[in-house]
Amino acid sequence: MAEAHDGEVIVAPVTDTEDVLRVEHIAKSFGPVTALRDVSLHLKKGEVLGLLGDNGAGKSTLIKTICGFQQQDSGSMWLKGEPYEPKSVDHARALGVDVVYQDLALIDELSVYQNMFLCREERLSPFPFLNSRKMKRETRKSLNDIGINLPRLDVPVARLSGGQRQSIAVARGVYSQADILLLDEPLAAMGAKEGAMILELIARLKAEGNLSMIMILHNYVHVLESCDRVNMIVDGVITLDKPTSETSVEELTEIVVEEYRRARIEAKKDEAAFAASEAAEGVED
Amino acid sequence: MREGSIIIVTIALWVYFAVSLPATANFLTYSNFENLLPYFAPYAILAAGLVFLLINGEIDLSIGGVYLFAPLMYYEIVGGGVPLVPAVALSLLVCAAIGLINGILTAILKVNSFVATLGVLFTLQGLTLIISQGQELEMPGSVVTGVIHVSAFAQVFGAGTYSELIWALAVVVILAVALARTRWGLHTIAVGSNRNAAAEAGVNVRLNLIRNFVVCSTCAGLVGILESVRTSSISPDPSSANSVLLLAIASAVIGGTLLAGGTGTVIGALIGALFLGILQDGLAIKGVNADYLNFYLGLAILFAMLVNVYLGRVRRMSGHG
Repeated sequence: MAEAHDGEVIVAPVTDTEDVLRVEHIAKSFGPVTALRDVSLHLKKGEVLGLLGDNGAGKSTLIKTICGFQQQDSGSMWLKGEPYEPKSVDHARALGVDVVYQDLALIDELSVYQNMFLCREERLSPFPFLNSRKMKRETRKSLNDIGINLPRLDVPVARLSGGQRQSIAVARGVYSQADILLLDEPLAAMGAKEGAMILELIARLKAEGNLSMIMILHNYVHVLESCDRVNMIVDGVITLDKPTSETSVEELTEIVVEEYRRARIEAKKDEAAFAASEAAEGVED
Repeated sequence: MREGSIIIVTIALWVYFAVSLPATANFLTYSNFENLLPYFAPYAILAAGLVFLLINGEIDLSIGGVYLFAPLMYYEIVGGGVPLVPAVALSLLVCAAIGLINGILTAILKVNSFVATLGVLFTLQGLTLIISQGQELEMPGSVVTGVIHVSAFAQVFGAGTYSELIWALAVVVILAVALARTRWGLHTIAVGSNRNAAAEAGVNVRLNLIRNFVVCSTCAGLVGILESVRTSSISPDPSSANSVLLLAIASAVIGGTLLAGGTGTVIGALIGALFLGILQDGLAIKGVNADYLNFYLGLAILFAMLVNVYLGRVRRMSGHG
């Protein structure tokens, strides 16, 4: 169980007993593209961890690995001190890890309540039939709890606004009885009012202290407001790990700008090297 | 109600024949109703099974092969000394296995379902011709010999006047409930509407696809056996099987199931089959020259589809599901 892909035996890391999730040296490639080089992070119980990083830095890949949608090439994960190897999204969900995807993973043709309960449908056991009434009731309760008012729950989600759709995706994750929730840009499609609603919900969940969250956000103000700690991921490696109380919007911005400068210098070097090799080939011809 | 438009179109067609045909043509008689049944019940079963795959955004052309192959399998199994009813069960199991192969080709080996099932279609039709040597065979158990249990078998499996109708209604009711009221149906819609989102939400996409291929293929095998018992013969004729296949697809599509996936209805498929049945029956009574039959059939399908699309648009704009 605790054996890495290359046969090397991994010992359980010396963990802080408060850690509900540990990710150790995860790497993941898609063909020639390396999405995650070597990512390690940890999440304490009740903590909200903000994950920052440029587009293509590997944030979504990391989330999709933790939630069981895809498996890492190497490295290991630990859930409450136990080896954590989710085989599927369903499996991860059964272990208490749920996710709100960037693309929301809503099914346009299905109704609000069917989407809310997709893959954890309530049934009229012992019969295989869906208990739509119960699912509608629970959905209504959850949405009221967040403060989202939809007149009808049996309309296809295709008819809803971007913000409403996103609220439903967030509600689905929050009310799935998970211990660990991964949120990939939960505010992306939202207006100011809906965004505030979700941030308030997250603050409330944080105050309750049962749910631990990893949240990808682009707005540094939101990160500092909602998260306990922030990790920055650059080119598939975590380059910064700081409590939000010890950092500021200015510092985070400065880091990103610095990163951008460095990347531009690298690119220029590459360009020069490429031009040189082109020239050399030209001579050979 | 999604089936609303096709119900209207079907009733309009029926009224048209009822009014335009002279009373002496006996369109409105009980015996004509009996004549109509084999024009419609088999297609209802085929289309009902197919609807799940069409909702998935896939297609199964191999049902034209399974339809032909199943009665021959049954013939061989009975020839091997197996009693009639278990032989039917075993042949349907073979059909389910063919569905499993279709499912594996499509869901796991990622062959486009149109291509994969086209290959299986020709393979099965070829196998049927090879095994039967192209000869028409007598369907075991279908000939009423006076031995009670044999004729009872034939009565149940296709030869009884209402046998195919009852099978069709049973299959349609079961599959309609499965589509609308079970996890399986919900996941079928999810896979067809947005495969990636469905997978992200945790739907086992492969399992759903494979299951639907198995169900579709089993339905086709059932129809093959029912039809062979009804006509008491196994005729290895790929061209008639191909037209059965195309009419089954037409039934599902006329009934309101989109080939693009994501939406569809089993009840609609039943009514689509009824529409085609009434059309063929009415045209035959009208004495339309056989050369013109396909021509009118084609125009009618186009017309029904246009009305369907138009009414669907009106319904969407008025804001009702």
